[in-house]
Amino acid sequence: MRRAFLGLLLAGLLLPVVPLALWAISGTWRYPDLLPSDVTTRGLHLLVDPRTRVLDGLVTSTVIGAAVASLACLIGFPAGRALGLYRFRGRRVVQFLLLAPVIVPGLAVALGIQVFFVRFGLSDTAVGVILVQLMPTVPYAATVFGAAFANLDVDYEQQARTLGAGPVRILLFVTVPLLRPAIVVAALLTFLISWSEYVLTLLVGGGQVKTLPLLLFASISSSDTTAAAALALLVVGPPLLLLIAAAPFLNGRSSAMVGVGRL
Amino acid sequence: MSGADVEVIEVSKHYGAVAAVDDVSLRLSPGSLTALLGPSGCGKSTTLSLVAGLHHPDSGDVCVDGGSILAVPAERRPVALVVQKPLLFPHLTVAQNVAFGLRMRRVDRRRRGQLVAEMLDRVQLPDLADRRVGELSGGQEQRVALARALVLKPRVLLLDEPFSQLDAGLRVQMRALVRRLHDESDVTTLFVTHDQGEALDVADTIALMLHGRLVGHDEPEAFYRRPPSLAAARFFGVTNELSGWVRGRSFAHRTGLVLPADLPDGAAVLVVRPESIEVVEHGGTETVAGTVIMARFAGTHIAVEVEIEAGETLDVHVPVGQNIAIGSRVHLRLPRHACTMFEAEARA
Amino acid sequence: MSFSSSRAASRRLRIIALLTPALLVVGVFFVGGVAQAVAQSFGYQPFLPSSRWSADAYRSLWHDPAVRASFGLTIRVSVLSTLLAAVLGVAGALLIRRFGSRAWVNAIFQANLAVPHLVGALCMVLLLSQSGLLSRLSYAVGLTSGPADFPELTADRFGWGIIAEYVWKETAFIGVIALAALTRGVADLEDAARLLGAGGWQRIRHVTMPALLPSVSAASVLVMAFAAGSYEVPYLLGRPYPATLPVVALQYYQDVDLATRPQAMAVAVVITGLSVVLVAAYLMLTSRLVRRQL
Repeated sequence: MRRAFLGLLLAGLLLPVVPLALWAISGTWRYPDLLPSDVTTRGLHLLVDPRTRVLDGLVTSTVIGAAVASLACLIGFPAGRALGLYRFRGRRVVQFLLLAPVIVPGLAVALGIQVFFVRFGLSDTAVGVILVQLMPTVPYAATVFGAAFANLDVDYEQQARTLGAGPVRILLFVTVPLLRPAIVVAALLTFLISWSEYVLTLLVGGGQVKTLPLLLFASISSSDTTAAAALALLVVGPPLLLLIAAAPFLNGRSSAMVGVGRL
Repeated sequence: MSGADVEVIEVSKHYGAVAAVDDVSLRLSPGSLTALLGPSGCGKSTTLSLVAGLHHPDSGDVCVDGGSILAVPAERRPVALVVQKPLLFPHLTVAQNVAFGLRMRRVDRRRRGQLVAEMLDRVQLPDLADRRVGELSGGQEQRVALARALVLKPRVLLLDEPFSQLDAGLRVQMRALVRRLHDESDVTTLFVTHDQGEALDVADTIALMLHGRLVGHDEPEAFYRRPPSLAAARFFGVTNELSGWVRGRSFAHRTGLVLPADLPDGAAVLVVRPESIEVVEHGGTETVAGTVIMARFAGTHIAVEVEIEAGETLDVHVPVGQNIAIGSRVHLRLPRHACTMFEAEARA
Repeated sequence: MSFSSSRAASRRLRIIALLTPALLVVGVFFVGGVAQAVAQSFGYQPFLPSSRWSADAYRSLWHDPAVRASFGLTIRVSVLSTLLAAVLGVAGALLIRRFGSRAWVNAIFQANLAVPHLVGALCMVLLLSQSGLLSRLSYAVGLTSGPADFPELTADRFGWGIIAEYVWKETAFIGVIALAALTRGVADLEDAARLLGAGGWQRIRHVTMPALLPSVSAASVLVMAFAAGSYEVPYLLGRPYPATLPVVALQYYQDVDLATRPQAMAVAVVITGLSVVLVAAYLMLTSRLVRRQL
């Protein structure tokens, strides 16, 4: 009996994707048919059709995602080091402060600073979008690195010093390699958060910076369900693939899980 | 309610191809305090978990007061188990931890408070009732764990090396505490340890397990004087082994030593404790001659190593004061009553 | 300066240097953004010389029945989704621990987690709408006789469609976190409780739940705050009226009439305040639960 409930739960976790996949390849699928009456690749073709600008959106999303991931990790890395390696007065306050953007909805914040983005000429630009997306991503990067640094044995760095390595070398040849799993997780996480971000991109990008979520949103609001479903599959693709690839790094890291859930 | 009569009957438990517990039969008389002794991995902890009901034996039976408890789930057995990790519930205070089992039995709050206070007194932690678990030292934690188990007045108390994480001085105190708690309540206690000193200190009887099998169950002195097997002797630290031959109820060693032996004809091994060997003036039937190769002052005695035949040596403990010079020739008498002999192929 | 105090000073300097970029990002964007939103909600218009401070925006929100309805809807949706997701997630984690092997179950959870909410919203529309897959299935087995016969689950007054999407995604989220918290140590404590006479449900209530509480409540807080502040899902799965607060905020913001700008900011401030209040209430509740033991 309980087994059945579990099976139901697990099935339920995957079931809703089924109609999506079916719609993506359907030609006509009218009520009350349980399956599409004919199968086409029209939806998939639309994805690569230059008129739909989907490929442009793909490039935009990827570039912005990569930029956000890199910047967020660059900023989060030293912050994580401070949080993980040192005990200092105000540590709790800093942790709380860094966690605030995660808890408080980004919408409110984005509305507030929009005015400044306009003033400084950053609104409607990709750079502006990248900057505003730092807000939800930096806390995650800092948290992941904080946990990693807390587990780091500083003795390795001391040892390198006695062997004649200067601070830059220690960083490049000792610290970074030791932290590689955390770097992968943080980069992955921040990339995925950026990849899925809609509201911040909409507000700051002004609808001009067309990432995939923006295109998907417009597509859903249109009447072409097949096109929307096909595009949705494209949007889901990279997160699924990247998560599968990084699965060994992610297992058992609850801080990573927290970030993934935010997608 | 006094302690129960516990009987483990031909119990076996396999994990894959390995027999963790191999046909073990053990009887604990009511109110006894028995040490289950053996090296790590010999199956002691598994045996305990079978009695507690956390695992089921593949074959055999476990009986309490004559009745089988195999079908009784762990939560209803009159058995308490305290293990190496105190496993105190971190979200409860000390008093709440001790009261846990009483709460499961729906004892009312006032009575719970009384019983908990009494029990904390008995383990000498009267002021810690409202402390959080995280604030306790290791020794305090284990005392709370004991209190939590004993407040339920179990009829069987199982202890799985509960003090091995504590440092030596504390361990001695805790052993005394267990001994006292046992004597006060008369609960049948089975105490697992790998330290023979601990077993000798605490227990009325010792049950020795090696490689999943029960090798002997007797009073400590008997293990000492008459080890049940060669492996048991080795476990108790007997280092003197002489390989010889038994023919016609006589053990003969190539040095000429001859002793009466109650074994069938064949190869045999003689073991004797260092403190039982005497240094004598002249040779005789029960003696062996040799050369002193080492003599070391060891506080209560002089530890002497004597080479009796090329390669074979005997350790002898000589009373302080006796003059033993290195290189001198001595005669060692092996009293018959202090020697134990085993057939050579006998396994543990 | 003595050697040790100069070392202490340089240590502090180093910590500050390490933290500065991150704190800058949070400070400028987050704190600055919130402050700006608050200011603009009171009528402050940066870069415009003629701005008057007033609480007019809040007054008009308070009197607007549409906003009240949105407030109620937002709370209803976020609280219900979080409760359902927490219950299902914890139940799922407990059952998986008992019955499932971790490897492929983890895969299912992670696959669910990988789906962005936007895509999830589309999935729910295709599944739950009156011409969606579930409706067609119920027609096929004879439960309904047409699309209108199937209950309105998307774009409905109560917000069931929105709740469904949140529950779908957040159950996996809370489930993963609960599963991670069910360690070997917790199993040991449950064994100890067994030997103290605790039966199955007693063990769950007295040992497992307290062990899960910290991480599950933290996760639930995140879920609740997210649900209160999310835009895509309520827009696609709800009605234009009443809409959840984030949708309303954007409606006001995108209005051509600039006079609604302060109202948009006011709604944003309300959202922020709401999520803080929800978090605080939740934390208070769970810490009270913990202290209630004995």
